[in-house]
Amino acid sequence: MELGPIFRALMHNKSRFWLIALEVALTLAIVTNCINVMLDMRSEFLKPSGMDEDNLLVVFTEPFAPEFKEEEFVNALRDEDLLRLRSFPGVAEASGFHQIPLSGSGSASRRRPAGSELDTTVAPLFIVTDRALQTLDVDLIEGRDFTAADFDFDMEAYEQGDAVRNVILNQALAQKLFPDESAVGKVIQNDSSDRAETVIGVVGTLLNSWPSSRYGEDAMLLPGKPGNEYRMRYIVRTEPGASGSVYAELEGLMRDTEPGRVITIRTMEEVKRRQFVMNLALIKILTVVIFLLVAVTSIGIIGLTSFSVTERTRQIGTRRALGATRVDIVRHFLVENWMITGFGLALGLVLTIGLNIALTNAADAPKMDWYLLVGGPVLLWATGIVAALLPAIRASKVAPEIATRTV
Amino acid sequence: MLAYQIRIALKSLRRNPALSVLMVCAIGLGIAVSSAFITTYYLMAGDPIPDKSDQLFYVEIDTWDPESPFDDDYPERPPNQISYRDLRAIMESDIPTYQSGMFKSSLTIQPEGENESPYRASSRLCFAGFFPMFEVTFEFGGPWGASVDENLEPVVVINGETNRRLFGGEDSVGRELRINNRNFTVVGVIGDWRPDVKFYDLNNNPFGEPEEIFIPFNFLESMEIVSSGNDSNWKTYARDTYQDFLESESVWIQMWAQLDNRKQKQAYLAFLDAYALELKKLGRHGRPVNNVLLSVTEYMKTEEVVQDEAKMLLIISILFLIVCSVNLIGILLGKFLGRAPEIGVRRALGASRLSVFLQHIVECEVVGLLGGALGLVLSWVALQLINRLFDNLLAFHLDLTMVLAAVILSLFAGLIAGLYPAWRICRVAPATYLKLQ
Repeated sequence: MELGPIFRALMHNKSRFWLIALEVALTLAIVTNCINVMLDMRSEFLKPSGMDEDNLLVVFTEPFAPEFKEEEFVNALRDEDLLRLRSFPGVAEASGFHQIPLSGSGSASRRRPAGSELDTTVAPLFIVTDRALQTLDVDLIEGRDFTAADFDFDMEAYEQGDAVRNVILNQALAQKLFPDESAVGKVIQNDSSDRAETVIGVVGTLLNSWPSSRYGEDAMLLPGKPGNEYRMRYIVRTEPGASGSVYAELEGLMRDTEPGRVITIRTMEEVKRRQFVMNLALIKILTVVIFLLVAVTSIGIIGLTSFSVTERTRQIGTRRALGATRVDIVRHFLVENWMITGFGLALGLVLTIGLNIALTNAADAPKMDWYLLVGGPVLLWATGIVAALLPAIRASKVAPEIATRTV
Repeated sequence: MLAYQIRIALKSLRRNPALSVLMVCAIGLGIAVSSAFITTYYLMAGDPIPDKSDQLFYVEIDTWDPESPFDDDYPERPPNQISYRDLRAIMESDIPTYQSGMFKSSLTIQPEGENESPYRASSRLCFAGFFPMFEVTFEFGGPWGASVDENLEPVVVINGETNRRLFGGEDSVGRELRINNRNFTVVGVIGDWRPDVKFYDLNNNPFGEPEEIFIPFNFLESMEIVSSGNDSNWKTYARDTYQDFLESESVWIQMWAQLDNRKQKQAYLAFLDAYALELKKLGRHGRPVNNVLLSVTEYMKTEEVVQDEAKMLLIISILFLIVCSVNLIGILLGKFLGRAPEIGVRRALGASRLSVFLQHIVECEVVGLLGGALGLVLSWVALQLINRLFDNLLAFHLDLTMVLAAVILSLFAGLIAGLYPAWRICRVAPATYLKLQ
């Protein structure tokens, strides 16, 4: 192909060359960095929680009746709530939790292997009633589940360090505390007290209350009597597909059992969305920004190429008169466009990496994935061709006799 | 002269309306995106109470674990809240002009009507000093006085929304309100007091609305109220009663003091240091004396109020505006050079280069300003959408800052975009074009 002449013709108008190249380069840098951030946020949101999220409902209750000050009342009510929840049509399983996974509000406390000098780790924890594993539908991968006996420990003796409480860790925490061996049967300790706990089981993935925080994916489950005069919470797993009908009835059921509390029902999906509201909003904002940016750049390319067609009407006519076909003319402008965008994209790759470094430093943005460095340019290159096609076709319609008109 | 140039510019823009609309839209988009995110950033990072921000101090006392600092990443920092015991002790001081310990909670409002069901209201427990210190404005009534705190009188300050919900928006001062099984008398309804950042407590959602109701701090003991914010603890303790919790080393209270001059500040700091030394003597705390008074802006910086996301959007939106400007350069260049023959004649008739240059710059600025106006409208729409996307957890709004930002940005963008095309066109050699005529 006649690359040489096309290039020389192109260099006649340097400002057009630089403007398009610069615009393409900047657009590439912004678009790839936005996509990179979006993908990272999306993967945070889509990270498997280990739970049967689709069928889980969360019951938040906040007592105001004075009876809740009595511990016996709370304990009896918990049993009654669970009995009624579990026997409700459409409910597969239900348990009490003192904090809710993915909710952004939780508890954490330092833990280390008993007797070790290792640094402690801050372990997010859930105090749960029986059947918690079945309710969440998490996988037990080692050891055993809680039995009734595990709930029957002496709380006072445990707080003094005289009795051991049996606990279940998730895999991430088990590996952190016991890197090269099985955690089952091992004893762990709270940092600032003598409280000791024996690990009886390990579950697979189970995200904690703060899914994207410095606590990572660690979590542990402690058997106990979750809930007090300030809050009592339950998680309910419904039969597949029954979530909607149970959701509608649940508030009434809870109120019938005990009216002296404010009741809020949410699906696990809602709980999660609230927690990720920033991520989800940002994904939408960045999508709009990318769309607008590509639109602006396309308009820019169309505009500049159109001007250049107008400017060169006479040359085009001359070429046509000398035998160039219409396809030749279209090809001329497309090749020219490829050259400009190609240069712009090369420059853009440098800017992309520069911007990524700047964003990582200023705003803790994720590192660029290499495949975006391929995908981004391909996307913009295609956009460039489509944008240049319109003026190129207009150019090909220039009649050969234009060449002779003003002579 | 300027009026004449603006008239010429408008005439020139009218000559090719489609192209002009395209230019205005292109730059308007850039202005819209960048001014929306600059405003977001400004509201996050800005000073929420400029006339008082260096008189208000957030108090931090280091009575944390002798073994390890509160924050491993910043070992020099004391805990970012204080314990109930420390609060009781330092509230005894009479040095500050105003002072208040405070915390956020969630209380149940039990409306009187049969059909009204009880609901949870975000609540703040604070002392009388809170209201004058943070310049709370009132629609009806006013704040409670210091004697209320001492005598434990059951009074409540409610926000406008609660007043509309429960009392139909009337003057409800003197009416009764049942909160957690106890009657309170309304003394004040808050007016349009709504700081951009909830700077007095940055623990959870610093951009949220202020609380719905405010009651005297000292009710916490008799009503056994706990914080719904963060609560950090280094020393485990058996918690059988509420009193156990109050006496623990848990930090969960925010403490503010208004200190009007340096002398007052130094005296207060000396008071805090003396208190910390006293504790050391009693063996209650084993860390070096490290008490800190943070001004409003220092507190916001320490708590990293500006989200990384906002910084990122700021950078991206400025680059977006640059792309829009580059785009505008291209269009203007094409348009101006297309007019070269006309300019050639004008130059031949005696127009100076400078006047040709200025005339075109003015035209660019007109495009920029029109784009700015469009951008403002778009950016208002964008902020509404952003608020909706954030589930109305944030309330960003168009204000004077944003209008100013848009005007300055559009003038700047117009200038940047116009410089090169205007320079090119003013260097047109008259002779070339005269020959062609």
